[in-house]
Amino acid sequence: MVKEASEMGSTNSSSKAWHVVYKIIKIWNVMIIEAVPDVHHNTKTLFLLQKKSDVYSVEDLWDKRSRKTDIGDEEEKYKDLKGNKKKKAEDLKKEVELDDHKLSASELEEKYGTSVNKGLSSARAAEILARDGPNSLTPPKATPEIVKFLKQMVGGFSILLWIGAVFSWISFGIQLAQGAESPFDNLYLGVVLALVVILTGIFAYYQEAKSTNIMASFSKMIPQQALVIRDAEKKELPADQLVVGDIVEIKGGDRIPADIRLIFTQGCKVDNSSLTGESEPQSRSCDFTHENPLETRNIAFYSTTCVEGTATGIVINTGDRTVIGRIASLTSGVGNEKTPIAIEIEHFVYLVAGVAISIGVLFFIISVSMRYKILDSIIFLIGIIVANVPEGLLATVTVSLSLTAKRMAKKNCLVKNLEAVETLGSTSIICSDKTGTLTQNRMTVAHLWFDNQIYSADTSEDQTTQPFDQSSPSWTALSKIVTLCNRAEFRPGQENLPIMKRVVVGDASETALLKFAEVILGDVMSIRARNRKVAEIPFNSTNKFQLSIHETDDPNDKRFLLVMKGAPERILERCSTIMINGKEEPLDSEKAEAFQTAYMELGGLGERVLGFCHLYLPEDEFPDTYPFDTDSMNFPTSNLCFVGLLSMIDPPRSTVPDAVSKCRSAGIKVIMVTGDHPITAKAIAKSVGIISATSETVEDIAKRLNIPVEQVNRREATAAVVNGMELKDMSLQQLDEILCNHSEIVFARTSPQQKLIIVEGCQRQGAVVAVTGDGVNDSPALKKADIGIAMGIAGSDAAKNAADMVLLDDNFASIVTGVEEGRLIFDNLKKTIAYTLTKNIAELCPFLIYIIASIPMPIGTITILFIDLGTDIIPSVALAYEKAESDIMNRRPRNKRKDRLVNEQLAVYSYLQIGIMQSVGAFITYFTVYAEQGFLPSTLLGVRVDWENNAINDFEDSYGQQWTKYQRMYLQWTGYTAFFVSITIQQVADLIIRKTRRNSIFQQGLFRNKVIWVGIFSQIGIALILTYGLGHVTALNFTPLRFQYWFVAVPFAILIWVYDEVRKLFIRRYPGSWWDKNMYY
Amino acid sequence: MATLNEKKTCSERMENFRRFVWNPETRLFMGRTLINWVWISLYYLAFYVVMSGLFALSIYSLMRTMNPYEPDYQDQLKSPGVTLRPDVYGDRGLQIYYNVSDNKTWEGLVTTLRTFLAAYTPAAQRLNINCTSDTYFIQDTFDGPNKTKLSCKFTSDMLQNCSGITDPTFGFPEGSPCFIIKMNRIIKFFPGNGTAPRVDCTYVGDESRPLEVDYYPMNGTFNLHYFPYYGKKANFKTSFLNCYSNPLVAVKFLNITRNVEVKIVCKVIGAGITFDNVHDPYEGKTLLKNTCKE
Repeated sequence: MVKEASEMGSTNSSSKAWHVVYKIIKIWNVMIIEAVPDVHHNTKTLFLLQKKSDVYSVEDLWDKRSRKTDIGDEEEKYKDLKGNKKKKAEDLKKEVELDDHKLSASELEEKYGTSVNKGLSSARAAEILARDGPNSLTPPKATPEIVKFLKQMVGGFSILLWIGAVFSWISFGIQLAQGAESPFDNLYLGVVLALVVILTGIFAYYQEAKSTNIMASFSKMIPQQALVIRDAEKKELPADQLVVGDIVEIKGGDRIPADIRLIFTQGCKVDNSSLTGESEPQSRSCDFTHENPLETRNIAFYSTTCVEGTATGIVINTGDRTVIGRIASLTSGVGNEKTPIAIEIEHFVYLVAGVAISIGVLFFIISVSMRYKILDSIIFLIGIIVANVPEGLLATVTVSLSLTAKRMAKKNCLVKNLEAVETLGSTSIICSDKTGTLTQNRMTVAHLWFDNQIYSADTSEDQTTQPFDQSSPSWTALSKIVTLCNRAEFRPGQENLPIMKRVVVGDASETALLKFAEVILGDVMSIRARNRKVAEIPFNSTNKFQLSIHETDDPNDKRFLLVMKGAPERILERCSTIMINGKEEPLDSEKAEAFQTAYMELGGLGERVLGFCHLYLPEDEFPDTYPFDTDSMNFPTSNLCFVGLLSMIDPPRSTVPDAVSKCRSAGIKVIMVTGDHPITAKAIAKSVGIISATSETVEDIAKRLNIPVEQVNRREATAAVVNGMELKDMSLQQLDEILCNHSEIVFARTSPQQKLIIVEGCQRQGAVVAVTGDGVNDSPALKKADIGIAMGIAGSDAAKNAADMVLLDDNFASIVTGVEEGRLIFDNLKKTIAYTLTKNIAELCPFLIYIIASIPMPIGTITILFIDLGTDIIPSVALAYEKAESDIMNRRPRNKRKDRLVNEQLAVYSYLQIGIMQSVGAFITYFTVYAEQGFLPSTLLGVRVDWENNAINDFEDSYGQQWTKYQRMYLQWTGYTAFFVSITIQQVADLIIRKTRRNSIFQQGLFRNKVIWVGIFSQIGIALILTYGLGHVTALNFTPLRFQYWFVAVPFAILIWVYDEVRKLFIRRYPGSWWDKNMYY
Repeated sequence: MATLNEKKTCSERMENFRRFVWNPETRLFMGRTLINWVWISLYYLAFYVVMSGLFALSIYSLMRTMNPYEPDYQDQLKSPGVTLRPDVYGDRGLQIYYNVSDNKTWEGLVTTLRTFLAAYTPAAQRLNINCTSDTYFIQDTFDGPNKTKLSCKFTSDMLQNCSGITDPTFGFPEGSPCFIIKMNRIIKFFPGNGTAPRVDCTYVGDESRPLEVDYYPMNGTFNLHYFPYYGKKANFKTSFLNCYSNPLVAVKFLNITRNVEVKIVCKVIGAGITFDNVHDPYEGKTLLKNTCKE
């Protein structure tokens, strides 16, 4: 492995020009070449803020000239990112001044008052801990709980209800002052309204808190431990107890517990991916290798992982003062904006509030001009507001969302922000990582070449056998090399685990080979034991090969076997023969040509190719006791026998191709953004279908037509593979053009920072963008995205913090499941809202008719609250369980500007059609009750003033009977109850029709959603309890209703069902017709 | 989470609204073409016509099921309400205030009584028959004119001292005022289970001496022959001619405490008449606050 920094100079010089808006402090540019003919570039860039810059940005480099012309736009664009970043910039500057890497161990000991051997004393450590605080990242400053709570109290409809409550109290005050007979009704009403607001607020707050807690518990799941030397003893301590000056020991697999200056290392490699994005492990040593602390090898950073080896170091920074801590605190600067569903709900609240206020004011004016008393008019206004506001709806929406969130969590999508559930559904572009998300995140042997033939290996997740032909003696030889020339080992104690799941100590390629051999040959470790290793040269980047010499397991064969693997061209150089069908044949140019073809082919698939060769050392020259010396290489390393090639790739997860094609049919563009090499990226993109089999890139077309790339019509190419280097030099317009013109895009060799540019580009197209990421540097892109998806396994805490969702299994397919759930919940919320809005009319009409026709009040305000918060709650939640009507993954993502949650059709159909039917049904019940008790409908008109007059206790009905005030009131309450019961009965029909929007109920299945029936029974049950159980509590205004009145509205309920079936029938029959346009919501 | 911030200025909003009301390019008026508005209006017109038709039909069939003589249920009329004349209501029920020496304070009350008793003049009662039996006046057939049922006469002279005939001022200037108690009509209600219900007035609470009351007619009873009531259609009634008139009982408080507000309750005592409903102060009884000044 070679690390180069060839491009350092150029990038740094351009960064110097960046003093106006952006300042790049550091660019890591590491090239990794490992046994692939075409060099593997991995560019990692880390941009930090400098004091002077007042804008934080992780924008990658753009062309200087284009930047200058665009500067106005950029400033505009980044206005929202500007802010009080100065303090943070100050902090960062300190980090830059870090010079611990330049100091020697003894200087460090002096500086931190510690001792490498003895560590700090416990007392001193406690002191420092008290001074510096625990070694943990401060979570992004959360909104104070009380503010969150109060927000729930004033959001949405709460304001309207508060107005209602205040009006109630005002009228109570006026009535009290006037000494009226029963002013306390209004006091109670006001209290009830306030209670409703507070309770729904508490509920919403609780829901929100619960989902936040899930996340909190998630990040706290594994308390980290660190091995520390204190008081000259090794101790296991929780990582947050670490202080500056502590001596810590780390070993392969550990997470680095703080920023550490290494003072002793042994084969230590760290995975900096959480800091810099995707990467190969980088080796660490005690040597001061670079001026820049971020680049020098003797510092390991907090939150990165030690992949292999061991190291000891002095803690130099803890908690928020670590490099990662500073970046993490920057991320919180990108503000959270409203989610699509929040916007939809706001739109809906505006709509309903608009209706409520305009009707309220209209009827206030009407009632005043009809010479009602102002006080009465105010009371009407309260009634109208209460009738119009679906009090329970917002709680219902929260419950529905959290139910979906729960369901998604079961499918490995952990939703942090409830509203993100829906956002995922409206996603139109997914920018996905490659490694780990689309792929299995482990190297796996994909192809073999021996006997002049390429064989394919099984790369699925749970392979137990390999199907290719293993009968050739060449394979036997090859398998031996694979087994023996390998330092990777299984961690002990995993015999019962499937091979693929076992943990291996060793690098990715060796692990792949070990597992491959284990699958085919069985117990590799015992094979190695039988073939005792006598000498070994480990892989190093100068030799680019690995060699070992073994005794053979054949007791009759006293020869030593020399096995070697490495970069194919280097291996071939050392060979003079090649094994064909078990026989050594001279390596002539023809065979070398065959090798080249195979090598290029496998390399072209984006696979990492290794060559294998061996040599049996002649017994006479190398007897049993021969002293092999690896330094002087007193054994042949040339004229070996070439055996074969193995190529490895991080293979795609088996579920991904299907998921990608689902996305495609769902109209979601999948863009791959990876730090990997373009060839590998393209190969994976092709194999998972991100680039479909038939589409070509500009380069492909050029190759096919044999013309220069510049002459190709760019519009013809549907696919594009964009290199990070190209992206650097692109103007925004060029990027937009690419995003617009190509449906299949792969961004390769991008730095995590470029992700942000890509995300913003997608958002400029008006897309709802989902972004996956795992590194700390992904956090800004995750925040910027409409929905940020962090990886649960590979993801860093910072990424998880910035994300809206965490994929517990890091699997792309889970995103698609999430999309499906998100779309479903959007549809189902539509149904819930339609269901809830309908009865508002049936609650509102009584007030309007009461005011205009002066009939006795048909329904009380309290009764309305019992519908909105009693009978209707469970059914509206039940609609969240409704299955999709058609394949929701076969339609385009919703256009967030056009496809509203509550559209005109929904409101109009619910309010003006079904709502009116319900009102008619309820009024018929009302008139029936009054008529059968003695007041015929004609008597009721215009009767209000006398009816409500306390001084009339011999009020005459249609039959000449006389009623006292209380007797009339009781009848009025019976009317309330009857009205309530009719609305409930008709809401059952409403609930059933809302199950579908297009399909017939019979297509959807009346009994498929069992929860709907729970809803129906609960609805009727609650109504029964209210009517008969609480019928004697006068304050609630319910009376035990005669049983037959339950059935008066049934014909209207049936009518509603039939009418809606007819509506749906016409919608299905005549798509695109006038009916479809006006009746489909 | 992303920025979906689309802050619009006020003028932009106005412009958008104007464009919504009339978009000259697409010729859309409030989001629809004119012809589309016509269609949708026609649809809703038809829809509401049908709904009104359904409503009318339902009300019509409801009326068809109704018995013209008596309602189907009398769930709230188990026990009759009792009212008092003169009926001057204050904030908390009946409150009667007068000053014996100031005729202006009681003239209104006297007029109320007079007007009330106008329906009980012999002329007004001329269509009713004289009844003498002291039992329920049960009629299974329609014996009256125009297929109605007969009612017994109740004339104001039966109230003797409180009839306004002998004492046109109903005893107000003397400080022993007359009040008239009336029981509400309930169809086919048989009060008293064979014995005539009677009115009984007492002070509410602890008063130093018992209230002395004269009841008219004798014993303050409602004669049984005024019951049962057969309903408006059966016991024919016009606005100027009462065929069925509620029987009355007049009470004359002889020793009412002066210069303080006293609470008096007048209960109708008889089987089937309850006066213990805590919610209804006028069921089977009437509560009265009386202030008699000197």
